[in-house]
Amino acid sequence: MAVEEIHAEMVSSVWKVLVAPGAEVAAGDTLVILESMKMEIPVLSERAGTIGELHVVEGEVLQEGDLIATVVPA
Amino acid sequence: MTTVSVAPPTTPTVDPRDPEDRLARFFDPGSMQLLSARDTSGALAARGTVAGSPAVAYCTDATIMGGAMGLDGCRHIVDAIDTALRERVPVVGIWHSGGARLAEGVTALHAVGEVFAAMVRASGRVPQVSVVLGPAAGGAAYGPALTDLVIMGPAGRVFVTGPDVVRSVTGEVVDQEQLGGPDTHGRRSGVVHVVTDTEAEALETARQAVDLLAAQGTFAPAAEEPAVDLMALLPEQRNRAYDVKPLVASLLDGPGLELHPRFAPNVVTTLGRLAGRTVGVIANNPLRLGGCLDSASAEKAARFVRMCDAFGVPLVVLVDVPGYLPGVGQEWDGVVRRGAKLLHAFAEAVVPRVTLVTRKSYGGAYIAMNARSLGATAVFAWPGAEVAVMGAKAAVGILHRKKLAAAPPGEREALHAQLAAEHERIAGGVNRAREIGVVDEVVEPAQTKRRLVAALAQAPSGRGAHGNIPL
Repeated sequence: MAVEEIHAEMVSSVWKVLVAPGAEVAAGDTLVILESMKMEIPVLSERAGTIGELHVVEGEVLQEGDLIATVVPA
Repeated sequence: MTTVSVAPPTTPTVDPRDPEDRLARFFDPGSMQLLSARDTSGALAARGTVAGSPAVAYCTDATIMGGAMGLDGCRHIVDAIDTALRERVPVVGIWHSGGARLAEGVTALHAVGEVFAAMVRASGRVPQVSVVLGPAAGGAAYGPALTDLVIMGPAGRVFVTGPDVVRSVTGEVVDQEQLGGPDTHGRRSGVVHVVTDTEAEALETARQAVDLLAAQGTFAPAAEEPAVDLMALLPEQRNRAYDVKPLVASLLDGPGLELHPRFAPNVVTTLGRLAGRTVGVIANNPLRLGGCLDSASAEKAARFVRMCDAFGVPLVVLVDVPGYLPGVGQEWDGVVRRGAKLLHAFAEAVVPRVTLVTRKSYGGAYIAMNARSLGATAVFAWPGAEVAVMGAKAAVGILHRKKLAAAPPGEREALHAQLAAEHERIAGGVNRAREIGVVDEVVEPAQTKRRLVAALAQAPSGRGAHGNIPL
């Protein structure tokens, strides 16, 4: 199955990064928490797998469409 | 229209694209009667029952010229739709067709146009559901698109012009699936409401939709409250986003039918049963885009509201919205024009429609989510809910900018919090909203389902007299 790319849906800042490359995740696991519209918005993995790349660091400002991470399906 | 007897039961060796077989798999076993004898027209229509309710269905015949539509086949489809309209029963189209028959020329185009006209005649009067099981190209693409619900199986493809034409005109290299497959239409374009893993599941989903719309049931007076604590489905921290779907699922009697689950997912639109009766649920989903409304989600919700209104389906609106999504992209994308559709849809709707503010409802989005001003049947709020132009902290940051700037840095935060609390009391809290009558009542989460049902059941039933243009 294709590598899942996780992109930012909206302009936001990265509040917390909860995973590192190589980490195993289940579907629905929180990868990072973004801050936007005065809300903390968790970004979830859609499927189980391993974190391939992680492109963000805490405090970074993201634009809509920016790549956050890739998940290699289990 | 007369009916003719059905051919003997199909054998296991039957072509999987056989229209009679597909129709038989859609209807209740043994209930199907063909509306006309099988022929080479490229389409077949039948009547039968779905979970006991009468319905009409037609299917393009992919075993003949790839299901291409000519004059005779189109007449069968038009007759099927008009029969359903006359008998006030749902009509389902099963699509696998390359479009108009080239050899018939403009005659075929004219006939396909007559199918479209029949669909629009029936729009908003009887539910129309489309199941796309193979390619539905050109004229066949707009057939499903004109109906209320579009369900796509794994081999379904919908496009106006195929990959070859696209490549020759624009140079874009794309295959059929990328151009118009389930992922494209379920996530990106919104053409398809429900994507399924198998053809059988697609037909089963169409049966579920027909059952929900045709046999809507009545509210049972004593709704049982969900066993789970609904408030516990929301995070304790008020600024933390969460998935609203478990809340929707807990309110409904059983699994509902979510429409457009991956398209504009910041609004959830689900048909389901509440205390035994079909309702439409519209909910902001804070997990996606923070629950903001944007142009796509407003349009998606507007179409859903209008469909429910046309078929007399009461609405439950679950509100937790921080506002409209700000941004140049949104403005240029027509968030004003497309957002106006949701205002129009709610204000126009005559079905009972009850709003529940779970956490917050801010700004223009507050109005758009079935506010009292748009004619909500009732507006409930959970304890602690905020109804305001914006969050209290943000509001006093603007209203008291100078005062805050003048305060010593060490005291600024405390002053800000104190001003916010005062502001919330006079302008943003749920109590103020109750005083001015925009919230009718604060309900405890544990009584929510009972109160929603009572409010919807007490309201006069209604059904909007309008078509369901595919917004």
